[in-house]
Amino acid sequence: MAEPSVIKERQRELFIRKSTRVAASYLRRAKELSDMPDAAAPFFDVLENTYVKLSDIQDPEDRKSIGTLCVMVPAELIYAAGARPVRLCSGSYTAYSIGDDYIPRDACPLVKAVMGFGKIRALPVFDNCSLLIAPVTCDCKKKLAGVIDTVKNTVPLHIPPLKKEDADTAVFLKELYRLIPILEKETGQQVTAKSLAEGINLVGNAQYEMSEFMKYRRHAPALMSGTQVMAVMNAYAYMPADLWAKQMHRLNAEMQLRLEQGHFVSRKNQPRILVTGSPIAFPNLKIPLLIEEMGGVLAADETCMGERGLSDPVSVIDASFDGMMRALASRYTKPCTCPVFVDNTQRIYRIKQLIKDNHIQGVIYHVLRGCLIYDYEYQLVEEAMGEMDIPIIRVESDYNEEDVEQLRVRIEAFIELIKLKEYKKEA
Amino acid sequence: MGNYYLGLDGGSTYLKAALMKEEKVVDTAVYPTGIDNNGTAKKMVADLCEKNGISRNDIGYIIATGYSRKILEIADDDISEITAHAYGVRVTAPEGYRPGMVIDIGGQDSKIIYLDANYNVKNFTMNDKCAAGTGKFMEVIAQILETTIDQIGPLSLESTAPCDINSTCVVFAQSEVISLVARKFDRRDILAGMHLSMAKRIIKMMKKSEKGGDILMTGGGALNTGIHRAFEEELMKEVYVADYPQFNGAVGAALIASERGGR
Repeated sequence: MAEPSVIKERQRELFIRKSTRVAASYLRRAKELSDMPDAAAPFFDVLENTYVKLSDIQDPEDRKSIGTLCVMVPAELIYAAGARPVRLCSGSYTAYSIGDDYIPRDACPLVKAVMGFGKIRALPVFDNCSLLIAPVTCDCKKKLAGVIDTVKNTVPLHIPPLKKEDADTAVFLKELYRLIPILEKETGQQVTAKSLAEGINLVGNAQYEMSEFMKYRRHAPALMSGTQVMAVMNAYAYMPADLWAKQMHRLNAEMQLRLEQGHFVSRKNQPRILVTGSPIAFPNLKIPLLIEEMGGVLAADETCMGERGLSDPVSVIDASFDGMMRALASRYTKPCTCPVFVDNTQRIYRIKQLIKDNHIQGVIYHVLRGCLIYDYEYQLVEEAMGEMDIPIIRVESDYNEEDVEQLRVRIEAFIELIKLKEYKKEA
Repeated sequence: MGNYYLGLDGGSTYLKAALMKEEKVVDTAVYPTGIDNNGTAKKMVADLCEKNGISRNDIGYIIATGYSRKILEIADDDISEITAHAYGVRVTAPEGYRPGMVIDIGGQDSKIIYLDANYNVKNFTMNDKCAAGTGKFMEVIAQILETTIDQIGPLSLESTAPCDINSTCVVFAQSEVISLVARKFDRRDILAGMHLSMAKRIIKMMKKSEKGGDILMTGGGALNTGIHRAFEEELMKEVYVADYPQFNGAVGAALIASERGGR
């Protein structure tokens, strides 16, 4: 490969300076929101290592990194092949501005950020992935899978746009089988019934800790800031699932202690808000931070970098190899509430359930510019919220800081209106 | 403690003030925002006091709203413009208006606020980072058509065959208007077309799930009779215009000031 030119090198330096500053400032703002549980610190360290100190994944085991996008790539299969998955969907503003030169203007900022990292070669967790598995989901991700192949060895993974019929799952199952030799070639290790069962267990443990954590997240008043929770869930992308589960176990213990001691971080009159819509990927914690800085509590999320990727464990009914593969194919399509699927009414049920379970008083619907599929579903969600008398606003945003003041006034007014509504209800 | 209350609305284009006493508007003022929001606000309050023969101490409480609400040092507190506008309607809505929907057209944004029967905010929508449905858009078009913002309303009312303007973006709409001019269309028809296109754009923002009550226009944009008529035509409904529409936010802020100051 040719030596990088002076301009390239200079651009890389500027990139590093700017991107580490942005990431550090978001981490600081998130930490300052309310007293953070001590057990949340390791997750913040992971994000800091990844985006500020620019170091690779900290993993005591020597495993290869396999990059993934979206929430449809079975992590279990990657662990079974002796590698670790790294989720590369990013919220980097700086990488976004680099990617902007390679991706059409109207595409979403997330794919631009991923492409930006591909081009700039400054993020070790990205650069050290020997392979990228790119699910063919929305149009932006589909075309990204096509162009990012120029900078990273990429395997597109076909996702059936329909998922109700057995035939749809069968298509995906075939895809997963196709993935096995590709992964085996990458790591030199075989995927066996034993290693697959271990992989399923490994991820299952992380999901179990998440479901435990959900119980604490439901609590009103809040036991921990929701923005910090988003950071914890984002850290999953850059942590081996076993390490994440271990730290999560400690966090759950601290949550239990806080619950027993009545150690809360919110007051009774702070509106509890659910965020749903386009991904909220670190460092783009703009929306969660604005909600909590303006006096709201981010009490739940229905997003793919948040709870969606971490709930619903694989349920193996038939423990044969094929049985486990079927369970994976089913888990990664059927309960998935990504709007990339043609019929996604279950997302509405999921939102309604979260509203009930987490005592939600208002919904903020996040649309990243260019993210058509989420915008499509806004109407349905709005109607459902209207029936439930739950206020909802749609906020459109991008990967830059220039729209913060516009967003702030919307979110501030939204919080004021919920407060006033509750106040009138009590009176 | 004084028994006057003041609301300041620091908008993108103008800084507005409403001086109130016992829920009645005593006086209003409007100054171009300029680059020194804070200095303009101070001067404005001093001028208002002098004009009404009162001292600064007669003003019990000041609340700021609008884009510069957080930087106006003279204010005791601030409130978002959505809440301020909703409050303002209690005073500025004309006789017979049943609270429902408020369309506010400001200098750099437009918003729709949904009220329940008791004037409480139920919900709202705002335009995104875009000037196409705003006062700024009217200004740009007025300039191209060699007229002024206060004339575009009356001129457009004389139109007999409004032009079609489809662009949703102010920059594209501008070039569309220029091409209409080049094709020798009557500027009254172009203006009428522009108002219809703006009204359509704002109507698109409306939530289908919010029904009931009447529609009221506020904000500086409501001073434009052309856009008012365009809304009535598009919605096929009577659209009310607030008293002192441009001061609605400031009046709302003053009302909230009287509640807080009275406590």
